[in-house]
Amino acid sequence: MASQELPGRDSSAVAPRAEAGGRERERIDHDASLGSFARRRHRKLAVAALTTVAIALLPLVIHDVYLQNIIVLTLMYAALSQSWNILGGYCGQISLGHAIYFGIGAYVSTLLFVHAGLTPWLGMLIGGVFAALVALALGYPFFRLRGHYFTIATIVVAETGLLLMLNWDFAGGAQGIQIPYGPDSWAHLQFARDKLPYVYFALGFALLTWLVTFLIEDSRWGYWWRAVKDNAEAAESLGVVVFRSKMAAAALSAFFTAIGGSFYAAFVSYIDPDSVMGFQLSLLIALPAVLGGIGTLWGPALGALVLIPLTELTRSYFGGSGNGLDLIIYGVLIMVIALARPEGLTSLFGRTRKARATPQARANPEARANP
Amino acid sequence: MNRREIILGGASTAAVLGTTGLHAQQPAEVLIGAVYQMSGASAQVGVDAQHAFDTALDVINNVHDLDLPLAKTAGLPGLGGAKVRVIVADHQGDPQKGRAEAERLITREKVAALIGSYQSAVAVTISQTAERYQVPFISADNSSPSLHRQGLKFYFRAGAHDEMFSKAMFDFFDALRQKGHKIETLALFHEDTIFGTDSANAQQKLAEERGYKIVTNIKYRANSPSLTAEVQQLKSADADVLMPSSYTTDGILLVKTMGELGYRPKAMVAQDAGFSEKALYDAVGDKIEGVISRASFSLDLAAKRPSVGKINELFKARSGKDLNDLTSREFMGLLILADGIDRAKSTDGEKIREALAATDIPGERTIMPWKRVKFGPDGQNLDADPVLLQWVGGKFVTIFPQSAAIAEAKWPMNT
Amino acid sequence: MTLQSLAQILASGLLMGLIYALIAAGLSLIFGLMDVVNFAHGEFLMLAMYATFGIFAATALDPVLATPIVVGAMFVLGAFVYLAVIRYAMRAKANIGMVQVFATFGLGITIRGLAQHFFTPDYRSIQTSWLAGHTLDLAGIFLPVPQLFGAVLSCLSFVALFFVIRRTDFGRALEATREDAGAVALVGIDKNRVFALGWGLGAALVGIAGSVMAIFFYIHPDVGSSFALIAYVTVALGGFGSIFGALAAGLLVGLVEAISATVLSPSMKAIGIYAVYLVVVFMRPRGLFGNL
Repeated sequence: MASQELPGRDSSAVAPRAEAGGRERERIDHDASLGSFARRRHRKLAVAALTTVAIALLPLVIHDVYLQNIIVLTLMYAALSQSWNILGGYCGQISLGHAIYFGIGAYVSTLLFVHAGLTPWLGMLIGGVFAALVALALGYPFFRLRGHYFTIATIVVAETGLLLMLNWDFAGGAQGIQIPYGPDSWAHLQFARDKLPYVYFALGFALLTWLVTFLIEDSRWGYWWRAVKDNAEAAESLGVVVFRSKMAAAALSAFFTAIGGSFYAAFVSYIDPDSVMGFQLSLLIALPAVLGGIGTLWGPALGALVLIPLTELTRSYFGGSGNGLDLIIYGVLIMVIALARPEGLTSLFGRTRKARATPQARANPEARANP
Repeated sequence: MNRREIILGGASTAAVLGTTGLHAQQPAEVLIGAVYQMSGASAQVGVDAQHAFDTALDVINNVHDLDLPLAKTAGLPGLGGAKVRVIVADHQGDPQKGRAEAERLITREKVAALIGSYQSAVAVTISQTAERYQVPFISADNSSPSLHRQGLKFYFRAGAHDEMFSKAMFDFFDALRQKGHKIETLALFHEDTIFGTDSANAQQKLAEERGYKIVTNIKYRANSPSLTAEVQQLKSADADVLMPSSYTTDGILLVKTMGELGYRPKAMVAQDAGFSEKALYDAVGDKIEGVISRASFSLDLAAKRPSVGKINELFKARSGKDLNDLTSREFMGLLILADGIDRAKSTDGEKIREALAATDIPGERTIMPWKRVKFGPDGQNLDADPVLLQWVGGKFVTIFPQSAAIAEAKWPMNT
Repeated sequence: MTLQSLAQILASGLLMGLIYALIAAGLSLIFGLMDVVNFAHGEFLMLAMYATFGIFAATALDPVLATPIVVGAMFVLGAFVYLAVIRYAMRAKANIGMVQVFATFGLGITIRGLAQHFFTPDYRSIQTSWLAGHTLDLAGIFLPVPQLFGAVLSCLSFVALFFVIRRTDFGRALEATREDAGAVALVGIDKNRVFALGWGLGAALVGIAGSVMAIFFYIHPDVGSSFALIAYVTVALGGFGSIFGALAAGLLVGLVEAISATVLSPSMKAIGIYAVYLVVVFMRPRGLFGNL
């Protein structure tokens, strides 16, 4: 739905309007039959609960640490992308600089742990709040920018953060910070070989971000954000406080992304600027949501489920050859999903969504580019 | 993955069938995991490392008439002639991925030991993982001194680290001073990575201790699109010695930019990395005739250690390149590791660790200019004497220390 | 700092700036035509550098003479990329902005992988050419000839680009198609043909940059990423879709980079560029010359 932010001057502009039309209908649906709406919400909750239980039971079958590592990463990126989705998907503000919040989370909790002995549980909350404050401070000037100007501003700020961390000697500079090797401990979130605690933490994190998204989807904020995304000017004229709702989305999104950063630091027990603040990371945070379905409840999780295991396995089993095969597979996959499933992988499942899109497309042959 | 497992399974079954008749209890194959960057900016290093390992495996697994550990026998005699195989994994320069690959190699592929990793940041997570799983890690080509100070038991480094390398440079300066050359001022030029900052920190410390003045200390962003302003600052400072710590890409750009801005440094003493890569000299060699680089290796060592020339031929047949500072250490690292496994007579991590800790290989039985290989309690080999090489007439000649030198240094490089 | 070294820094900054502008021009043209930011732009640059190197290695043809061949090849490549990939990205009924970003991003990774596969990750460079190694010395201010050549080509390219857009039928078709793709179909202009030509032209421009840079820069599969971010910032700074903006912003970026490397620390010189970008877009949310 970035197209709202990147106003198309050709036929492509038809598509978002079609989307908006669909939403309208959804809203009418919603008013007309609150009962069925509530049932749908209950069903979503039930699916989430079942999925959570299934994943929680998975380590009973999969003992292999390598596979468990992939599970942790998949859940972590699902949660991160879900956090990104709050701002990028629901609010339509495409950020490719979320690595800065991730890095803030990683550095704040690690510095507090290494220098002050503070448990990462508290450290990650402090990091999250700090990241949210940074997001608010940045949001104040940034939300005046539209489309690519906004996106490039987010990239530029994250890159600035990266350069500052590389040159800040107290925080380890390029050497990074190593979390000292100690006995297994839940308080320190440190486990030498055991991956299970990390699986459960990441699962809890993913569930939390999902629940938050689930709740706000149906809240006043959720409606505001969609209004902002669909048409900022109209939303303003209707009295929606566009600016404040964007700020809230940014703060929430940054808070959870920073939690992910703190978790990553505890999980890997070593951080350096390039691995927790690099541009690649910003892309990886956004990518699952984009591939799975931007602005959807299940998109980020679905995208992460496809993307992370595939990239991990191709790297492990093709990367060692040094002939670029892993890159080719990764690149082609992204391209193919983006082209074949522009609405994301969730559209494979969503009956309502499809039903909505088709008549619009039929009514507007121009919406499809010339054959 | 499945197909691969089937193929692997088939291969090891065949290997088992081939040897079970004689050595039923012995492993048919000893696996060693190598973690390198195989894609991205430093993929070249990983691909070259693979050739170095293949050369080492040739020496270990086949009979060669060379005075090197395990050369004269086929396979590991201590393990009933078991062959060694290396599995290469790609860490993409990312510490998290390096850790994941190390874990995979240890738990799934059941490697007996690890070797790696070029990038020091990745070596941190690999060495920690190795410690947690009690599997030895040979840090073949990492030079960051912070690595052996982590207090790890399973970490071993046969080569020198940046402080040892830098010390050799300053010993060289001191020697030149005694001969009456004027060396007062230094200019440091280093990239903003672990390698660059560690190197610069060591050089800064030594300069203070020995009374050299650092007139400019430039930290630059690795892989910058332009180094013009940086070189302009170096030119204005015009120190007696320019000391770059750069990888190949930035090294090429640095030298080209110096030429473009008409800066001819009086002397250049480089912290290896890019300045030991053939690619750099192919690109700009004629512009820096007389540049000096620290190294762990030099081809002219062949005069004193005959195996050097033969190993270089084996390596060149595979890669089309001469052995360099990195590939020689990778080759030697694998040989030392295999020697440890052979003496341990086991693939058990703790036993290999003990055997490695007891390693004592005289320098003559290596292809390196080292006095010997003997690890300290922190896993660092203190006898890994570095050498200084000078690029003269299209090749490197060893100029320092006196014991290894085959020629006098040409100093200064430009007048 | 002496006056001379200040002049040197400014001169070098301007020369580099013209090359940044040339790299950014193709990106800006494609965006202006169809609202697509090509995230594989750095990889296009890398391919052009490899093409120049390949021609040099195979036939010893000097990069200066190889430039037209490389530019032609890049034109074909650009048109092909449009027809094979971007055309389909334009059909997306939803999320069109993100689809285009990630389709081109995926394309970029694929190209990098292919380059590593076919060219190996070895570092390459062109060792001898007519221009390499020559430097003009103007009263102590050094102007390297390859960069000067690049700067001249950059200026010529911008003049030619203005001419093509303002004075030729093709330019008018571009202009009309970007105004209203539906309407041009009525007057018999094939939208896809115009877009394909636009992509070809965009890639050809980066082809010029690549063939000049092959003379003075190293070449390897990842080389494009060093320039990609600067190119995006340059285009946005000048204003998306504005060719003149790309030129002005390129010069500004080159100057700011050179100055902030001197004033700030060299490792933080990019922060100077980023700061200028942020200040400009806060004051002018459409960049310096953006009219979108």
